[in-house]
Order: sequence, then structure tokens, then C-alpha cells
Amino acid sequence: MSALPLFAPTVGAAAVWRADELARPPGLVLATGHALLDSQLPGGGWPVGALVEILQAQSGQNEWRLLLPALKRRPAGPVVLVGAPHIPFGPGLAAQGLDLQSLLWITSAEPAARMWACEQALRCAPVAAVLAWLPQVRSEQLRRLQMAAAQYSKLLFVMRSVPAQDEASPAVLRLLLGGPAAGADELGDALCVHILKRRGPPLDQPVRLPARSGRLGALLSLCGTDRSPRSGQALSPTDQGCFCGTDQELPSNFALSPTDGRMSERFGEGHALDRLAALA
Amino acid sequence: MHWIALQPWPEATQAPVASTGSMPQDANALVDALGALAWWALRFTPKVAQVDDALVLEVSGSERLFGGRQPLLHAMLGVDNPVMSVRHARGATSLIALARLQLATGPRAVAPDDLPLQALAAARAHLPTLERIGCTRWGQLRALPRGGVARRFGAPLLDALDCAYGLKSELYPWLVLPEVFDASLELAAQVETAPALLFAARRLLNQLLVWLRSRQRGVLALRLGWQMDKRRDTASEGELVLRTAEPTLDMNHLQRLLGEHLARITLPAPVLYLRLRTLETQALSGSTASLLPDDVVGGDSWHQLLERLAARLGPQCVLQAQACADHRPERMQAWAPASSAPVRVAHPSARAAAGAIQAPRSDGLYPTWLLAAPLKLAVRQARPLYQGPLTLLAGPQRLEAAWWEQAGGAAQSVGEGCALRDYFLARSEQAGLLWIYRERLSGPGADAAPNWYLHGLFG
Repeated sequence: MSALPLFAPTVGAAAVWRADELARPPGLVLATGHALLDSQLPGGGWPVGALVEILQAQSGQNEWRLLLPALKRRPAGPVVLVGAPHIPFGPGLAAQGLDLQSLLWITSAEPAARMWACEQALRCAPVAAVLAWLPQVRSEQLRRLQMAAAQYSKLLFVMRSVPAQDEASPAVLRLLLGGPAAGADELGDALCVHILKRRGPPLDQPVRLPARSGRLGALLSLCGTDRSPRSGQALSPTDQGCFCGTDQELPSNFALSPTDGRMSERFGEGHALDRLAALA
Repeated sequence: MHWIALQPWPEATQAPVASTGSMPQDANALVDALGALAWWALRFTPKVAQVDDALVLEVSGSERLFGGRQPLLHAMLGVDNPVMSVRHARGATSLIALARLQLATGPRAVAPDDLPLQALAAARAHLPTLERIGCTRWGQLRALPRGGVARRFGAPLLDALDCAYGLKSELYPWLVLPEVFDASLELAAQVETAPALLFAARRLLNQLLVWLRSRQRGVLALRLGWQMDKRRDTASEGELVLRTAEPTLDMNHLQRLLGEHLARITLPAPVLYLRLRTLETQALSGSTASLLPDDVVGGDSWHQLLERLAARLGPQCVLQAQACADHRPERMQAWAPASSAPVRVAHPSARAAAGAIQAPRSDGLYPTWLLAAPLKLAVRQARPLYQGPLTLLAGPQRLEAAWWEQAGGAAQSVGEGCALRDYFLARSEQAGLLWIYRERLSGPGADAAPNWYLHGLFG
């Protein structure tokens, strides 16, 4: 826990929260890993021991991207997924720092069973974080979860759908992911985070998190630069015949064919798409 | 020789101590209170015997171990030590101790000669005659001529009197702690529903706790059996086996597990008897307590969580992943019901493979979500569609694996047989980054339009 940015509960003048500035959360805070987002969150990170609500149009779309940098640096302990929309893919998660063996996945379709499982997971001492997909949860149930998270100091993220933003919620922090401009702007794959509720002044502008990090980001930026000279025309399926070993012309600046043994030797036995990233 | 007589004494109510794993303080919470008391008393002396509804303990052999008679009594009868509220009496022989226990005069000890004859079990049959000859105290009976007493009342009375005065040695069948806990309980009323059995089972569990404490063991597997009304034309017996991953003394956890299991059982006939038996126990290792209050983390343990989740939701709903060595994405991991034991890797090669997958390899381009079954995409003008047209960003990553598993025939479905795929990274305006693949047909069907599938999401 000592590696986390700790903020002790403050007393005296510092305990007074002026409405035009960000509050200091009473508990621990875990940095999100996104500097822009940290600067807009009270305490500079995800509050530990509080409910964080994440709303988005399609579940499964952006959660990992938002949460993985923080989960990577969580206090040691398993992460419990309650009712994930798809199968969590271990190799992809492990590459971003979340160990496959530390995941527990509870696949229950009933909303009541999911609620119960969530609460039980929060009560378990070794659990570090609980990620719950609760599309049909009611406000008083969320309050129960919030109380449990506060009592046992766990990271708790509840994923809900966009229409829930009009309902009252006991969450300390509510975020709306995506938005009208997502994906269509000059940043390409940027993630728009609207902070609907926080302990601080309301924020009108969404926080734009930069494009993806790591290899995927490098690859995407390469594709982005690649796309512009071709006047927005991305790789069309007809172009790809060439990758399959036919005699068509290679796309000039895109990639090497996987059958090109020389490049394979040079870059080792990595992922086929890695060679694109390596070129970037 | 120094004897202590003990008897459960429910009237002397004490404040219940409701901490986890503490001994039950109420004799009514147990199935066999005297038996439990005897198990508990065996920690002080090996000489414990049951006489009617009381226990007698010979403690002179253990006085040195406890540092004297008073420390021993304090350890035995201190405020929070007894397994239940008891009353006690002491004496130089067991009969004196028992007689004083019956008198219940408190700390003031009555001299043996002044003890009433009602308190001597062997004299009870002759009490009217003895009273008519004016003999009501032990001393008075002892003063009578022995030959006459033997002729009039029989030798057993004289023997008992000799034992009571220590002239003859006392013989008892000493109690021992059973190797296996096995207790049964006759229910006070017929129980129609399985969840209602929990109330009776709780008493059995309390009894079990006393046994486990005495043996210093934790329970790993239990069997709760019940006998049903034989007049119904159904099965007359039923049982339930409960297992935990770690040896436990925590009856609250066992009770909760039992409740979850019982909630799913329908009884064909009313239950009359319950029986609890330990199948597997393990010696407890001590736990290290922390001096600092901060180190005490509140909450349940990991295996308790897993067992409780599996008991209510079913084991198939509580999954943990195991990395596998395979090139097909759907086979790279196996989500299996979580066992509360640490993840077992069966084969050394599998262990090596698991380690290889754990290491940050060149896996940054794998998606974070995988679809349970690949979703076949519609194709328009040779471009795949998923919530609108997809833009292919990168690829292909060619996968050609598992030809050795080919079941025969050209049809390839996911998970069985040969996988011939070209994976692409695609973007959808609505759904974000997707991981799609094109099935690369081989053989005679190659001229047909390729099928596109959605297989993963970069969430």
C-alpha cells in the first residue's frame, strides 16, 4: 500500500471543502494512470472504499482501457468480475499488467444474484477490487454496495448503461464514457470521459484521454499516419489479397507480408502485428 | 485424591459471548451438554467419569501441571472458561463431591458426617427404613454396627459408605474423547422443510465445535444425514456432504454453507432424526496474531468467499482462468470452476506454458474481451459489417493451428479441428476497436466468398 499516493484524512482548515475546488477524499486514493483524468478527480485518482459508477452505451467497450492502468497498481489481491459482458481474455489482460490468475469471474445472469455476489466479494478480506456490470441495479442497492465498499475499503466500479445517468445515485464519482465526438475527431481513438458527478465543481468539458498506450497505440498511430496520405481510405479488403501470398502489389508503406522471412528473423518470433508497431 | 463434581447448571445465566468460534455458553445450544462438558473437562485431567447427570473429575494428578489446586480451579471455573455455565463441588472422594453438589450449599463445605443420606445414591432405596430408625446423616449410618447394616440393607450400602469415606478405592469407567465426531439428534417435532433443519443442525455444529476444540483440529468434510418418516412411501434417509478447503473452526461459515445447501433440497417426508459426522479433520496449526490493531483486516477469507459463492450460485458460475498453451485464442485460457485451493497446474509443460503466457510477451495486440462464440458478420461489397461498416486498420495476423485435430470434412467451426484464420484489427464507429477474422478456406471451397467473424473487443 505504501506505493500508492496516500492522503491522510485531514483535520482543521484543510477539512473544509469549498464548493469551487476539488474535495479531498477521506480515504485512500489510487492513481488512475491517466494524468489528465487524475487532475480532474478529487484526490487525484480512484477513491478506494467508495462506489465509482461508469456509464457507457455498450458494456464492455471501454472499461479495461480506463481501469487497467489503475488495476495494474492495485494493492495486492484478486480482482472480482461480476457478470462481465464477454469472456475476459487473459493474454490481452496479462499484456497490460493484469494477471490472469488473480481474476475471479462470477457469471450469473440474475440481477439479485449479481448484487449478492458483489456484496460478498466486497466483504472478503483479500479482494482488492470489484468490477460489477449491473444494468438493472436500483439506487438503494447501490447504496448497500457503497456502504460495503466503504466498510471494507475496496475499489468498486459499477458499470451501467447511459439511461441510468438521469437516476439518482449514491456513487461518489460518476463517469460517462464515450460521447457524440468519440472516435470521430482528430485524436482518432481518444476516449471522452464526462465527469457527471464528483466532489468538486461541475465539469462541462469532457476529459479526453489520449489514444491507447503501448503496442496497440503505436500500431494505431501508425495506421493513423498511414491513413492520411491515402485520403482517409483505410485498408480495403481487396488490398489484403497480397498478404495471403498472391502476386498482387504490396501496399507501399503499410506492412510486410508475414511470409517475409527476413523481417521475421529481424524482429524475432513475435506477434505478426508487432512488426507494424516495430516499424513505428 | 481430590475430586470435583460438575453439573451443567442452566439457571445460572451468563451473558452470552458472541464472538466467532467461541464456545457456546448455553447448555441448550448443545445436543449432549454433559458429553460436551466431559470433552471439555478432559483437558484438565484424564480421569473424568459420568455419574448419573453429573461428572466427577479426579484432579490430584494434574495439580502440579497447573501450579496448584487453586490455579487449577481458577483455570477450570474462571469467568470465561467453562464451555457452559456449570456448578461444582469438591471433596476428598467422589461421593462426597457429588453429595455436596446435590446439596448446593455453595462454597461452605459440609462435613462428611453431616451429609444427608439422600445424597448417597446407594442409600436412596432404604431411605424410609433408615429414617424410621432415626438415621438421616452419613455419620449416623456409619455409627451403626456393620454386621447388622450388612444383614439389613445388603453389602452394597456398606461398600458405598466405605468408598465415600475413602476406605475403599473408587472405580469408574473413565471417559475418552472419541476419534470421530458422530452425534445424532432426535428432533422435537417433525420438520417438513429442509431450511428448517438448520436450526437443529446448529446444535449439532455447536457440539462439533466443542469436540474440535478439545481435539485441536479443524474440520474439512462433514456429513449431515437425516432419517425421515418411514410411514411415507419414499426414501427414508438423506444426506448432505459439506467440504471446506481449509480446516476450519468457524461454525458460522459452516452454518452458512449448510444453509445454502439445505435451501436447495426438497424433503420427500418429514424428518425425525439428524446425524452429524465428521468425514475428514486436520490438526490445526496455530495462527499468528498481530500485536498491532492495524494489521487486522476485517472480512471473510478467500476460500470462504469461493465456497459461499459456489454454494449459492453453483460452481459453474464462479470461474477462475487457467492459461493454456495453444495458438487458438479460444483455447489460450480455460475458465474453470474456481477451487478454493491455489490454482493447480497439472503438467510441468503446462506450467511452463502458463508461465510463458504470464510473462509480458508480444501480446499487446490481443483484445481484452473474447466473444464466447465468434459472431458471423454480414458482408457488403466485400467489407464486413458490424453496427455499420468496419474499417480494417491492421492485419492480417495469420493463424493456422490445430490441423492435427481436424475431425474430417472441410467444415471448421471454432474449437474443433483446424483453424485457418486471418485476424484483422478493425474499427467500428459505434463499437470501437474490434478483433475480427476471415476464415481462410482450404480445399475445393476456396473460391467462395470468405466468411468474416467478430472474435474479440478491445474494451
